[in-house]
Amino acid sequence: MKKLLSLLLVLVMILTACSDGETQAPQTPETPETPGSAEEQPEGTDGGKYAEEQVYKYTYAEEITTLNYLINTTWVDMSVAANLIDALAQYDKYGILQPALAESWKVSEDGLEWTFNLRKGVMWVDYEGNEIAETTAHDFVSSAKYILTKANESESANLVYSVIKNAEEYFNEEITDFSQVGVRAEDDYTLVYTLKKPVPYFESMLTYVSFFPVYGPFLEEMGDQFGTANSTLLYNGAYLLTEFEPQMQRLLTKNEAYWDKDNIFVKELNYKYNKEASALGGELFKRGEVSHAIIPPANLDEWMTNPELKDKVSPDRLGTYTFFYAFNFKPNFDAEYEPDNWKIAVNNSNFRKSIMSSFNRVASMATEDPYNPEFRIINTITPPNFASQDGLDFTDTGNLAKLNDVNFFNEDEAKAYKEKAVEELTAAGATFPVKILMPYNTNSSYWANEAQVVKQQLETLLGTDYIQITLLPHAPTGFLDGTRRAGNYSLMKVNWGPDYADPQTYTDPFERDGNYNFPEYTTDVNADGKNLYDVYEAMINEAKAEVIDLSKRYQLFADAEAMLIDNAFVVPYNVSGGDGYVASMVLPFERPYAPFGIATMTWKGAKILADPISMEEFEAAQEEWQAERNEALKEASN
Amino acid sequence: MKYYAIRLLRSFLTLIIVVTIVFLLMRLMPIEGYFTNYDKLDEVQIEAKLENLGLLNPWYIQLKDFYGSLMKRDLGQSITYRPKVDITKILGDKLITSLRFGLVSLTISLVMGLSLGILMARYKGKFWDKFGTCYIVGANAIPAVIFYLLIQVYLTDLFKLPLLYDRTDAKSWILPILCLSLVNIAYYAMWIRRYMVDELNKDYVRLAKAKGLKNKDIMLKHVMRNAFVPMAQYLPASILYTVSGSIYVESLFSIPGTGGLLVTAIQRQDNTLVQALVLLYSSIGIVGLMLGDILMAAFDPRIRLSHEGGSR
Repeated sequence: MKKLLSLLLVLVMILTACSDGETQAPQTPETPETPGSAEEQPEGTDGGKYAEEQVYKYTYAEEITTLNYLINTTWVDMSVAANLIDALAQYDKYGILQPALAESWKVSEDGLEWTFNLRKGVMWVDYEGNEIAETTAHDFVSSAKYILTKANESESANLVYSVIKNAEEYFNEEITDFSQVGVRAEDDYTLVYTLKKPVPYFESMLTYVSFFPVYGPFLEEMGDQFGTANSTLLYNGAYLLTEFEPQMQRLLTKNEAYWDKDNIFVKELNYKYNKEASALGGELFKRGEVSHAIIPPANLDEWMTNPELKDKVSPDRLGTYTFFYAFNFKPNFDAEYEPDNWKIAVNNSNFRKSIMSSFNRVASMATEDPYNPEFRIINTITPPNFASQDGLDFTDTGNLAKLNDVNFFNEDEAKAYKEKAVEELTAAGATFPVKILMPYNTNSSYWANEAQVVKQQLETLLGTDYIQITLLPHAPTGFLDGTRRAGNYSLMKVNWGPDYADPQTYTDPFERDGNYNFPEYTTDVNADGKNLYDVYEAMINEAKAEVIDLSKRYQLFADAEAMLIDNAFVVPYNVSGGDGYVASMVLPFERPYAPFGIATMTWKGAKILADPISMEEFEAAQEEWQAERNEALKEASN
Repeated sequence: MKYYAIRLLRSFLTLIIVVTIVFLLMRLMPIEGYFTNYDKLDEVQIEAKLENLGLLNPWYIQLKDFYGSLMKRDLGQSITYRPKVDITKILGDKLITSLRFGLVSLTISLVMGLSLGILMARYKGKFWDKFGTCYIVGANAIPAVIFYLLIQVYLTDLFKLPLLYDRTDAKSWILPILCLSLVNIAYYAMWIRRYMVDELNKDYVRLAKAKGLKNKDIMLKHVMRNAFVPMAQYLPASILYTVSGSIYVESLFSIPGTGGLLVTAIQRQDNTLVQALVLLYSSIGIVGLMLGDILMAAFDPRIRLSHEGGSR
């Protein structure tokens, strides 16, 4: 026995000894200290408002899959890349586009040719900060060529070929000569994009990963290993990824060679991986080990009721992803749920409106945000602060402006609509109760709760002799293909995120042959007897064609969106609430803002605060920011 | 020897069947799962990626390619978990990390568990037995998730230990190892006590006592040895299985091991990674069982595997 035990112990020691050697080998011996962090100037703290040590620490639960920003467009992956690579232009904290790698640009009169004058002396450096080459116009050509090569599986290819001349043909291998594609370097510092049609929002697309540069010779050298590690990537942005160990940590250190380094105040972004970050984040924040932590709704009570913690929690800034409930006009579900009956019902506007006006959105939103459910609710599909023209926010434009203060939820109206619907639907041959199939994704407990609330609330108000809602839980595997895209639902919460800064992006879900709620199948007509979708489509087409008078363009889009909502094709629900509630040492309003894309993931101008933000501070800062943004927008449009 | 050869062959066959079934099952997964941004992509883009991954080929071609590269000892590249990174590179560090934690905790569990179990058997019905029973019941009754969290939050506070694992800071290794060991100690203590108590009631112990042997000798030379035989069978598998890590302890303490990797790989539909892990874990299972039998035979000369004719 003794022999065996000692044998075992020896074995264990040998094994651990071996593995010790192996794991420690790749470890960098010197942990890179931030240069200059010791000689912090006290005046940098702005009278104690900001922390002396400008280091951001955070624990994250989802690891990036790749650093190859040319192929991947997921939020997590881009949030790192956005800080490592610079774009031609970037947004400031009010969401106004500012020059970055391009110092200036001009567009030809026909709106097709965009010429960019690049900043000189911006260097590509490796992860240790060694200079490799200068960033030139050729790097944008290399990037476009890589993205448009089918075999590279780039997820942003469609964004590029939606605007650039001959790009789609090259992607589909109809032409093989890349010089025919609308991107060329006239010299090292002059870059020209040729578009296939005038695109009023082209500038905004430049801030996105699909128009990031890449150093061609390096890309070629790395082959398919480009971006698989911090050493197989070159940097010209605000930070270097000095350490990157998947499922462990990443360390971003300020790039001392960055052209705008004077506006980068946070010297180090220190991320540690923890799969249970949402459970542990709050605890880590209390101990001062992280600068920012998500407080999940389940833990929110603990923070709100504790006098010591109450002032350390605040909402996160609102995002631009929107959620809305969609009525399906092309039901494709089991006969058990009576798709033909649903088809009759959904094409009756009084029926749709009865659902819309009996939907208490605040009540269902409380499942996710019990403290301030109104904060995220919106009356439009395009969220506020997304796009504006002449200083006027898109949601305050045209017919959309009328929807701003309307409360859709109205019990009396709901009952009146119901009465009319019952009469008309009976005449049309529908049977009651109308069966409503409502799927949700089982990966989210909030969604499950919300679906329950919506079902209960609608059935109670309208009566189960009128509607009968069946909840359809669906596993996350193949969720979209199994529900929305297949038309396997009657009423469902869906979402959409913008691709560029123009109201057109929010019309994509309602395009003919789309896969959202198939509005082109409607048989409902307006007062003049015209098919509602035909009317809508005509408005959209007119708006899309208007590329010169942008005020008119915005108004046309706004009217079209208002029409969808007025006719209850969809019920607007909420705008994404970022991370919900957070404990944070960073004021989101000091960070760059953008209506879409990646600017909100960057750090230019931001500083770490000395104390956590409270609810009151957040609200005051938000108000101040909103006023300043409105000013800035007006100024920019002049 | 012949027995081992046949058994090895049979194990190999099992392995191939398992890996093939998993391979085919993965091909039945919905294509949506291969994309992180499915909703924003064009049909052409989706087609292009599926084609690159070889997923549009008939299944037998895919299977042939898979075994072909396996022959060349190539496990391939990850496809969604960390695209284009070699599987061996992803697994290498992770396996070693999990192995280190697992082996250290297994050693602690064995030493502590066996000692506790022996004490309990020796002083059956007295203090040690009662103390041990309390501990065993506690460790098994309270869900591990709960006391892991309590340990992590309160013990770190109490002893000023770091909350998360840091490879360069040995202090941060203590609590994960403690967590990993707690339940295992109870497990080993419970079983060794049981087997020993069984043995103690047997005739040969009485005979030994009657012969006037010292209690200590009886315990160590006879009872212990016999009681350990059933445990020996599972020991090699336990040791090997440490490479699969612990899902919850590793994710709580941010240990970059293999715990939960298989689950993640399946969720993300990283076919190559799933295949590699299934191959690894199945081999371990098969080899572990075999080593267990050998070890058992070594401990107890009465057991002869070859005469049993491969009934196992």
